[in-house]
Amino acid sequence: MKRHWASPMAWAVTVVVALTLPPVLNSYWLHVLSTSWYYAILASSWALLAGYAGQFSFAHMAFAALAGYTSGLLAVDLHVPVALGMLCGIAAAALVGGAIGWLCLRLRGPYLSLFTLAFALIFQLIIIAEYQFTRGSLGLSVPGLFAGSSDVPYYYTGFSLLLASLAVMRALLRSRVGIFLRATREDEDAAEASGIDTSFYKILVFTVTSAIAGLAGGFYGHFVGILTPNLVTIPEMGLVVAMAVVGGVESLPGAAIGAVFVYVLSEVLRDTGQMRFVVLGLIIMLTQRFAQNGLLVLTVSGLGRIARRALAPAAAEASSAVTDVEKMAG
Amino acid sequence: MTEYFLLQALNGLVTGLIYALIAAGLTIIFSVLKIVNFGHGALYMMGGYAGYYAIHLLGVPPVIAVFVAMAAVYVLGIVFEFLMLRPLYSNKIDRKDEYAIIVTFALFMVLENAAIVAFGPFNKRPPSFAEGAVHVGTLTITYDRLAAAGMAALLLIGISLFMQRTSIGQALDAVSQSRDSAAIIGIDAKRMYAVAFGLGAALAGGAGALIAPIFSLSPTMGDLPSVQAYVIVVLGGMGSVPGSIVGGILLGIVEGLGIGFYPDPNRALVYSNAFGALLLIITLLVRPTGLFGRAHLRME
Repeated sequence: MKRHWASPMAWAVTVVVALTLPPVLNSYWLHVLSTSWYYAILASSWALLAGYAGQFSFAHMAFAALAGYTSGLLAVDLHVPVALGMLCGIAAAALVGGAIGWLCLRLRGPYLSLFTLAFALIFQLIIIAEYQFTRGSLGLSVPGLFAGSSDVPYYYTGFSLLLASLAVMRALLRSRVGIFLRATREDEDAAEASGIDTSFYKILVFTVTSAIAGLAGGFYGHFVGILTPNLVTIPEMGLVVAMAVVGGVESLPGAAIGAVFVYVLSEVLRDTGQMRFVVLGLIIMLTQRFAQNGLLVLTVSGLGRIARRALAPAAAEASSAVTDVEKMAG
Repeated sequence: MTEYFLLQALNGLVTGLIYALIAAGLTIIFSVLKIVNFGHGALYMMGGYAGYYAIHLLGVPPVIAVFVAMAAVYVLGIVFEFLMLRPLYSNKIDRKDEYAIIVTFALFMVLENAAIVAFGPFNKRPPSFAEGAVHVGTLTITYDRLAAAGMAALLLIGISLFMQRTSIGQALDAVSQSRDSAAIIGIDAKRMYAVAFGLGAALAGGAGALIAPIFSLSPTMGDLPSVQAYVIVVLGGMGSVPGSIVGGILLGIVEGLGIGFYPDPNRALVYSNAFGALLLIITLLVRPTGLFGRAHLRME
């Protein structure tokens, strides 16, 4: 019974808090949170791909960068409007993502990870090598999505995009597709034998999650105004993995909250330099070792247990009162 | 011009032997534990630094430092295996493939960034094994390269003999073929897992210490060689040590020649790195069991 109102309530509180924050924040933290929406979209879509569908891809950042560069180059070279460019970027990411999903149909487990790792590396090297188009390691300056230098519109845009992508993914998982994906993950042969077209759903999940990564990448490019090959590096991918793992790879909102938490934490620890990535790596290991469902789930269930324990004496009293009343009535 | 290509081929042979060493370690870990170690490049890097500090702090001669580095990384491997990989053998965790990918990837994150903190982001260069170079006609090849290639070759022969001739090597092979059957004849599988991970790590560490005087040390030095090692291991057939050796040497030579052939030198350097990754993709697509794959070692 409790779940029915607790979940929408938590959502409403989160959304209201997020919407009222900008006037309170200084420009630095506004920028940090706006950037964290980018990571939240990436981490939650990666959680769908890796956690729900079991396709442990290291190419997620490459799809984000592909969309970012597509949109950026269209805007810089052909003066295409930014919004249209972003749509083209999403389409490109979906197309390439679907193609990678198709190529990976036969590959399972670590083989898929190796394949996508190699793909991401090649993509990064192409961006570096073809500098006359992409400006290589110097970075490509792209126009902003909004005029003016305030981060406030980006904050709200990023947050809306995050909610929208969470809603799309939730709808997908609530449909039959969600069950099929989990069945495929748990036992591909058994799923196939029970008549699920596993190939179709694998390609579908790659296409959808890549498109969402592309959305994040396009937003990020036009938000920070510069694209570099660093977007695709292994440490960036590691950051997204850390976010999803901490939040819980099997919970999309969990991964999104994990992303905001991890990104804010990494900003708080910025003065410690690379030490923060050491801390993050250790957090990943400890989370996996002792709380495979993510720290968030652990915290929530822990709080639930405490609450139940606190309420337990009261409940016992109430029930004994009831029996007293019954006795009196009897 | 032919001499230039000959030189490139020779240089390729040296890096190929180093690749083979890294890949052999990866193969041993894969065949026994059935996991891909995504932290392998970081272990290679740690070996390089361990050798460097053995020379500078302990005053060990460079050749001995390679063995000190291997021992240090062996211990590191054993500790990681004990703390993080033990749950793989029980039924305490769900979805072991994912678990193994995530924790070994986290190992990579921790080691690489800890190295930046502890050793600094700038390149370090340990002293040479031997100063000078051999000149044959117009060809010049440094003693360092010869020494690294020679020692790598000796280590590779050593590890092959170890796997075939010693009881521990055969026990490792037995566990890689069937954990349960190995247990029936009295092999302690848990101990073999620890030995395999330590040994695989040590080989990567030794490779790092050997390459250090040639291309100096940096915390990110393991990123690309680890991709090459994945290529070799996949190409050579997951779990086949001889396959890794042949694959490593071939990849090194082909890469060396590739740089020579590509017209634009800047791009040649960048794309020579991409070459290994491309080969990995093609192999995975065309022949996922590799060229020398053994059927029982296929990923379960």
